[in-house]
Amino acid sequence: MPKQTMTRKASDNVYLHKDFHGALSNGIEYIHEKYGAEAVRDYLRQFAGTYYAPLKEDLIRRGLIALKEHYDKIFKAEGGKVRFTLSDCELQIEVETNPAVQHLRAQKIPVARLFSETIRTVGEELCAGTPFAVELLAYDEASGRYAQRFYRKA
Amino acid sequence: MISCTEFIPAYSELFKFLEAKDGPKAVLDFWNYLSDRFLNNLRDLVTANGIRGCWLYWSRTLNEEAADFTMELDEEAGTFRIVMTHCPSKGRLMEYKHITPYHDYCGHCDVLYRRVLEPMGYEYTTDLSKCDQAKCSVVIKRKEQ
Repeated sequence: MPKQTMTRKASDNVYLHKDFHGALSNGIEYIHEKYGAEAVRDYLRQFAGTYYAPLKEDLIRRGLIALKEHYDKIFKAEGGKVRFTLSDCELQIEVETNPAVQHLRAQKIPVARLFSETIRTVGEELCAGTPFAVELLAYDEASGRYAQRFYRKA
Repeated sequence: MISCTEFIPAYSELFKFLEAKDGPKAVLDFWNYLSDRFLNNLRDLVTANGIRGCWLYWSRTLNEEAADFTMELDEEAGTFRIVMTHCPSKGRLMEYKHITPYHDYCGHCDVLYRRVLEPMGYEYTTDLSKCDQAKCSVVIKRKEQ
């Protein structure tokens, strides 16, 4: 049988590897099992505080439009169905199709019990130290459908 | 939601978090856990297709990850190679100005895949000497019967 070779450049493909949702779900479940629920939140605060530092600066500088643009970009990249309602003081995000949970369910990869913290805790960390706050209004465990409200603190 | 396009920094921070909790062994324990629970797709493909299973597995993942690579499958010799000329994961981590990658970030690949393939009768050899340039190589070879 002849040898087979494949050569690719980064520019040949779009960067979208949805199995990463499964690795994250496993990571969250591992921390939960080994160190408890609060450790999951500590980890997500550490991640969000580090990775989203530029986004947080943008939120302070430009307001809620920064978050709207961020979430719009990632939901478009992943093919999620989402509706944004934005005013000066409030951004409501209603996610009809959650690409992360949809992928996990389709691939029969277990969804971590605290997977919703990737929304709740990350949102809270994004707002920490800014004039904004956030609440998770609804979250459906089965589908990952959720509604989240960011708002300017009084 | 954390997008899959944001996973790599989340992964690196997870390793840092675990090491801060319980030292390097905590990171190794997690890699073993992840290999056992999450790499069933690789395990199943190699069980069903032999060394070609490696080709099938990595031809999907490396394309989805938009890597710069060359893969070679030689079924007669029982070998599969990857030469990674630019790893998308390590490359991304190195591009971020505000993030310091976990010091042994590239170690996870070696542990995760070796743990699947060696018990199935394959030798797994990797060269991580240039991983600070987001380059590495892997050779997987069927062991002689």
